[in-house]
Amino acid sequence: MTEDAIRRYGMAAAFVSVAFVCTLFLQRFFPYPFLFLFFAAVMASAWFAGTGAGFFAVLVSTLVVAYFFVPPYYSWAITPTAISYFVGFVVCALVVSWVSSERRKTEEALRETRDELEIRVSERTAALMRTQTELARLSRVLSMGELTASIAHEISQPLTAVVTHGQACLEWLSGNPPNLGKARLSTESVVRDGTRAGAVIDRVRALFRKEAPVKDWTDLNQVIHELTVFLHNEADARRVSMRTQLSPALPNVMADKVQLQQVVMNLILNGMDAMSGNNARERELVIRSQKDTGDQVLIAVEDSGSGLDPETAEKIFDPFFTTKPHGIGVGLSISRSIIESHGGRLWALPRPAGGAVFQFTLPVGAGESHV
Amino acid sequence: MSDPRHTDQRPTIFVVDDDASVREAVSNLLESVGFDAQAFSSTEGFRNAPRPDAPSCLVLDIKLPGANGLDFQDALARAGISIPIVFITAHGDVPMASRAMKAGAVEFLMKPFQKEDLLAAIRQALERDQIARQQDTEIASLRSRFDELTAREREVMDLVVEGLTNKEVAEKLAISEVTTKMHRGQVMRKMMAPSLADLVRMSDKLKSRDRG
Repeated sequence: MTEDAIRRYGMAAAFVSVAFVCTLFLQRFFPYPFLFLFFAAVMASAWFAGTGAGFFAVLVSTLVVAYFFVPPYYSWAITPTAISYFVGFVVCALVVSWVSSERRKTEEALRETRDELEIRVSERTAALMRTQTELARLSRVLSMGELTASIAHEISQPLTAVVTHGQACLEWLSGNPPNLGKARLSTESVVRDGTRAGAVIDRVRALFRKEAPVKDWTDLNQVIHELTVFLHNEADARRVSMRTQLSPALPNVMADKVQLQQVVMNLILNGMDAMSGNNARERELVIRSQKDTGDQVLIAVEDSGSGLDPETAEKIFDPFFTTKPHGIGVGLSISRSIIESHGGRLWALPRPAGGAVFQFTLPVGAGESHV
Repeated sequence: MSDPRHTDQRPTIFVVDDDASVREAVSNLLESVGFDAQAFSSTEGFRNAPRPDAPSCLVLDIKLPGANGLDFQDALARAGISIPIVFITAHGDVPMASRAMKAGAVEFLMKPFQKEDLLAAIRQALERDQIARQQDTEIASLRSRFDELTAREREVMDLVVEGLTNKEVAEKLAISEVTTKMHRGQVMRKMMAPSLADLVRMSDKLKSRDRG
């Protein structure tokens, strides 16, 4: 017999023993033996120790009851008048045992199903979160493209008019004699349509300004951690080993968390892009956080990519400068303006072991806008 | 290339663009180089405007309120209105350009466009319209001359252009050779054909138009 079986049958024996002792004790005060206690012992055995132990309890109870509590007492014999009483006891004990163990099995099956469901729900939730992150990233890229297309259209109309009026003006002037009246009207149209193009740009600026940063105390380690979880699959897909070196004593900063997420994500994705040409060299991305000298924190994203020559390092923060074949060239320029609007600094430097480091500092203090 | 400014009928360029400043600018440019321009903010305006009896073309924006320029191109073709189209657009893509060119557009220009490109496209469009108009006029004139022939003369003409001799024609129509010669002379005179070769060419043109 296995140890577990001994434990379970021992438990059944113990329940029956308790019922026996109590019944013996109670028999001093009552004319009829308290056989109900044996039902309780059977029920408990079946419930806690399983079906086998339940029937074992029925067997032991039957023997005990036959010997001690059914006349003639202290004998296995049973008087004919007590037979129906005894049979009733045995049947009840069996039914109790069976019902109890069945009930227990059902409950266990239910619990298992519930646990399994919980696991599946949490798996699905994780998958959904990943999809959602991916969608958020995609929608940002898409809305950027749509916005660019719409701005391009809005500006290209007045610009077309400006260029065309300008060319018409040259034609009117090149006549013999030149048509000064028409040339003047054309020039006036150039001024008017040029002003209109300027107004479009003002509207675009206002659109960006509307998204006022929502600043709150932000844990940059948490921001980095969340992003590495989100970008884990991306890193795997690009065969990049992504590590973090986070200072546990990093103070919180007053910042717009979503904007900082965008900056760090942009730096991480840039770093991955910079290593896409690494065929022999290892693709290693390290994200560090530390308390910097003075009252500020420093976040650095290091890659082992193609690195930066000093000339490019100057230009990469310019709007619409890009080294990528399909880049728009606004990521770093927007990132820098976000960091500066938080009173910090974002810059790039070569990594001694090859590759580049992009890092930014943020003041620990109030983080007021220094722009 | 023939300069459309020196033809006796001044060509008209129709401009349809919903953006007032672009419309005005294109008209101004066209006027500055000596074209007559008529600008409309919608395709309905263009449809309701009278077409002059002169070469013309249409400078059409793709994105218009209510009607897409490409759909309007199809609608014109279905209505049997043939006018060469130069498309201008601020946000074109390859499928749009390909659809426009397949449907017979002269050019597909992205805004802002260069003056030279627009004017070259317009000149090409006008030349195309000029040729189409000349052909229409020539066919119309041929048709009216052909209508003056008698039934017998038409029969003679049909057989002559097939290369039959007077004798063969006479046999086929069961008439005398002298009568055949007389009909043939009438055909050449009425059709104003200097030679048999010219008559054959005229006949081909009439038949090609009948088939088309």
